[in-house]
Amino acid sequence: MLFNYLLMSGVTTGALYGLVALGFVVVNKATGVINFAQGEFFMFAGFIAWMSHVQFGIGYFASFALAVAFGFLLGCLTDRIAFRPIAKSDVVSLVLATVGVAFVLKGLARTIWGGKADYLAFPPITSPDPIMLGNIMVIPQQLAVLGGTVVILLLFTAFFRLTRAGKMMQATADNARAAALVGIRIDRVYTLAFGIGAAIAAAAAVLTAPLTLLYPDIGFAFFLKGFAAAVLGGLSSLPGAVLGGLIVGIAESMAGGYIHSSVMELSPFLVIMAVLVLRPSGLLGRRQPRRV
Amino acid sequence: MAAFGRRNVLLALLAAAMVLPAVANVYHLFIANLIVVYVLLAIGLNILVGYAGQLAFANAAMFGIGAYATGLLQVRLGWSFWLAFPGGALLAALVGLALALPALRLSGLYLALSTLAFAQATQWVFLHWESLTFGAGGFKTPALSFAPLPIDKPHGLYYLSLALLVALFLFAQNLVASRVGRAFVAVRDGEVAAQSLGIDLLRYKALAFGISGFYAGIAGGLYSAMLNFVAPEGFDLFQMVLQKAMIVVGGLGSITGSLLGAGLVIILLEALRAFKGLQEIVFGALLVAFVLGMRGGLVSLLKRHLRGWEEPLRLAQPAPPLVRARPLEVPAGGREQ
Repeated sequence: MLFNYLLMSGVTTGALYGLVALGFVVVNKATGVINFAQGEFFMFAGFIAWMSHVQFGIGYFASFALAVAFGFLLGCLTDRIAFRPIAKSDVVSLVLATVGVAFVLKGLARTIWGGKADYLAFPPITSPDPIMLGNIMVIPQQLAVLGGTVVILLLFTAFFRLTRAGKMMQATADNARAAALVGIRIDRVYTLAFGIGAAIAAAAAVLTAPLTLLYPDIGFAFFLKGFAAAVLGGLSSLPGAVLGGLIVGIAESMAGGYIHSSVMELSPFLVIMAVLVLRPSGLLGRRQPRRV
Repeated sequence: MAAFGRRNVLLALLAAAMVLPAVANVYHLFIANLIVVYVLLAIGLNILVGYAGQLAFANAAMFGIGAYATGLLQVRLGWSFWLAFPGGALLAALVGLALALPALRLSGLYLALSTLAFAQATQWVFLHWESLTFGAGGFKTPALSFAPLPIDKPHGLYYLSLALLVALFLFAQNLVASRVGRAFVAVRDGEVAAQSLGIDLLRYKALAFGISGFYAGIAGGLYSAMLNFVAPEGFDLFQMVLQKAMIVVGGLGSITGSLLGAGLVIILLEALRAFKGLQEIVFGALLVAFVLGMRGGLVSLLKRHLRGWEEPLRLAQPAPPLVRARPLEVPAGGREQ
């Protein structure tokens, strides 16, 4: 009984971590960097959805679309400000620039939506009463999150496989120089990758919001867990990101249920360290030769 | 030597810092002491990030480890501050050395993220290992006294911090100009190239991590004595960004730059004390602006416009040539073989 419940909630949060991880992988595959502002995109989009849904009374799905569109713009803007001008410089600069963006967003959210202890509640979109599925107790919102995650994954896969822009992204990820030679404007692909990564984070945020509370520091927790998931999956593998998310989510939920709730916060650290020390290429990632 | 050269300006700053307690009130003295502590932190971080090129995010955690160790050795084991303080700094240096082990396998992004995760785990220990660390509420440390000397605690601590800063500043400056400093720079600019020059990566990475841990530990011990109180929230992610902003604003790869950056950032921080959100916006924006617009930081501006600000790496003694090179002799009329 407890096991089933923990498994269900682990799968739900795991699916969300998988989405955040997917955002990392999209950006990393195209550009080779980690966007340290990914968690703050998540947080900011969640607040945008809260503002439009709770403050202005716009419907959940319209708010969802609005937040995703806003996330996309935010991602593109980050690329233009903090990545494109220094795309050719060293890792230290690239990382510190996105860290700076992350803190600007966090400060903006704190200034606009409240102080350090303000937690905003997002009303549930389904009935809050748990239902029984077989012998598993499920909160309907969890099913909505799972369903939403699956839909987003399908849409995303279709985009990658079927559209022209998706194929350009694949080509650029495969070999940026060759892609440029056949006429793909790779700096636009980078912008698109940042935008899509942020849009996925935004979608994850609006799915998460009814299950949790929103606060300006929420981004960092999701950043670390999403990154743990992405590293576990191999950082360059899209299915790996989702698999990694599920593993991190379930492990965290089990640790919280059987050991102690405070252990949940420690799980991303343990996962990141274990993977990086034992198998840096992740579960489904390709081994990368060392560049000289 | 130019009148506004680096040495003259630094000596003037030191003289000002020496006489400051005569004119400052308690609050100003506290801020001055805070600046001294942060300059120590920034120098340590700059050695690691700016010179050795290791993008680590664990410096705030090291700062915390120094503060906690100094405090806990006094409270739990009853050591005096004069024993607990160096003990805390050594412990932070040892943790730094241990962090160099993952750094040997990981570089760039992976190192950044694993040290970030380490910092988060440290924060977790501060918060949840209550039987050791007193948990989220923090704990008071025993009042520090400079008993035989006729000086009160704020002034005594200030002069102690200043003396340590002068010593550690000079040490850092000599270190980075020495063989070790050149090895750090070589590791930063290309690990493979450095190895092919015979530089032992493990040794120099461990040294950089250990030294920066030691500086952070010293700063942490002084900080705990300043506040007489240790709590987890002083050592969080914001603290890390603050320190990163210091070295980027001052100048990556410059000891003098660390001093300028730390001073400027702390003064800004105090000016914006009431507005946490605004602090984050300002320091985030400063970080982006300097990374994009002024890679060398403030010190590069000074180097360009004033004379006598260069910080040269000291050249090695040229080794005697083992083989005397001779011009190639081409046989008259013949072709080269």
